[in-house]
Amino acid sequence: MRNDATASANRVAVARGKADRTFWGRLASWTPYRSLVRLATASPRRQFLILAAFPLLWVLTQHLGPMLQMLRVSLTDAYPVAVGVEQHFTLDNYTRFFGERIFWQPFFRTLTFAGVLTFCTLILTYPVAYFLARHVSRKNQMLMLLLLLIPFWVGEIVRTYAIMILLGNTGAVNQALKWLGWIDEPIPFMYTSFSMGIGIVYLTALYMLLPLYSALEKLPKSYHEAAADLGAGAWTRFRRVTLPLTLEGISSGCTLVFLISTGFYATPVLLGGPSTTVFSETIAGFFHTAGDEWPTGAAFATIMFLTAMVLTGVFQKLMQSLRKGDTK
Amino acid sequence: MNRGNRILIGCTYWAFVLYVFVPLLLMILMGFKDSKFIGFPIRSWTLDWYTGVFSDGEVLSTLGYSLVIAVLSTLISVAVGTWIAVLLEGRKFLGRTAIFGLTILPALIPGIISAIAFRIYARWLGVEPGMGAIIWSHAVHNVPFVALVVMARLSTLPKSQIEAARDLGADPIIAFLRITLPYLVPAILGASIFCLLLSFDDFVRSFFLGGYEPTLPVLIFAKLRSGMSPEINAIATVALVLTAGLGIWAERFTRRMKKETNT
Repeated sequence: MRNDATASANRVAVARGKADRTFWGRLASWTPYRSLVRLATASPRRQFLILAAFPLLWVLTQHLGPMLQMLRVSLTDAYPVAVGVEQHFTLDNYTRFFGERIFWQPFFRTLTFAGVLTFCTLILTYPVAYFLARHVSRKNQMLMLLLLLIPFWVGEIVRTYAIMILLGNTGAVNQALKWLGWIDEPIPFMYTSFSMGIGIVYLTALYMLLPLYSALEKLPKSYHEAAADLGAGAWTRFRRVTLPLTLEGISSGCTLVFLISTGFYATPVLLGGPSTTVFSETIAGFFHTAGDEWPTGAAFATIMFLTAMVLTGVFQKLMQSLRKGDTK
Repeated sequence: MNRGNRILIGCTYWAFVLYVFVPLLLMILMGFKDSKFIGFPIRSWTLDWYTGVFSDGEVLSTLGYSLVIAVLSTLISVAVGTWIAVLLEGRKFLGRTAIFGLTILPALIPGIISAIAFRIYARWLGVEPGMGAIIWSHAVHNVPFVALVVMARLSTLPKSQIEAARDLGADPIIAFLRITLPYLVPAILGASIFCLLLSFDDFVRSFFLGGYEPTLPVLIFAKLRSGMSPEINAIATVALVLTAGLGIWAERFTRRMKKETNT
């Protein structure tokens, strides 16, 4: 409203031949500015080029550049290049991956972990999202969602530490079990795939919950009622109506959680043990030592990235075909 | 759905609330324990760990360092992200899909890989590990989130307002500054808070691109590697209160702003 009012006042001022004394008026009548604008907006084409140049440059050099440079380094035999040494292109860094068990084992472990944990997160958060979207009034929905958001604003390290305190030998869970008289000796939860799994699910649950919630929230209640009127029981209604119509949310939630889980570094270091080494620890290992291991680390990171992209791509295509099959 | 099922599904929500809150509450409690050893039960209580944290120069300077990094990287992300959003939203041109894909790429790269790629790129550019490198990596990583949020808001801007401004003689730049930008303020503020939190909480990029001075998560990590102590609980609780408090405040603030601008 205010904008309109000033604009019309400006027009009146212009019509009366008076100069516009506001900051914007003065800027608009300042000669260098005007000639600059005239130059920049001479044609729609030039205007667009000026608008597009910086974003294009940014995404190419800042978003794509690091990945390309990583790929390039992964194909060389020495990086950073020492003085007087010639750099050669080679595939050795990639073949090294398949040659040694200590390399490919963590890789497959990571993929399995990430897959299993993604599934667990889905099972865990679906009822929560369902409850929020279907059984809570609009006003309370936002409040109850906000309640869940609070812990997720807290950082990765702090939440990992919270899990360490929960699961340690003198941690809350063991003390509670002891107090109940169910165990005498503490159960060694820590430094196992169990503690790592709990930690990673704790960190990623929200990325599953939000897409699921928005998919469920979009679903009209009338669909359910129609299915019920046609005689479908609770389970059939879920299987034939709710589940197929929330596949999109499931698909994006799973993709996000899978990609995030494969990329954790601190959580496996703190919560995992020697038997649960994941690939991110393997990759990081090459960067702690002196420079000459960098190409191998870069190659391994490239392998990881491409595999994760291909897997999530295939998964999304699969979900898409499932969705299409249902609407036919 | 019958009553029994409804109660059951309600219980899963509250069980989930417990799952996400209990570990953090226990961690906060442990910061008040009057003993060096982490573990239950807590028999006596103290505030010493907190007074220790607030008189520890290293922790305080780390906190300041993290905050400066968060603010500077957010400023860059917001400027770049908004620019990209303005280019992409409501425009059709050759390569738009490609630019959009590249824009969201940093958000899709798993953490460790993105950290490694930034580390290699920084080395190639001749940037030494340290504050500048961390700010740069956080800024690049957060651009996609800004771009997505701003694009969503921009798509609801009535075209007629810009056209009216142009009819009244505003050039595209003034029309952008006086119509589009004020309309985007709630989205930009929301995205900024999100970027601040992402940067402040980030571990993996700060760890691989940092020099000798740690950010707060890196400091907590380093201390954890050498053993658990209630001192870490106190530091972590300070970080927790800062981030959760900022998040809650931002949520309320952006909601109020959206209400005001929509009516």
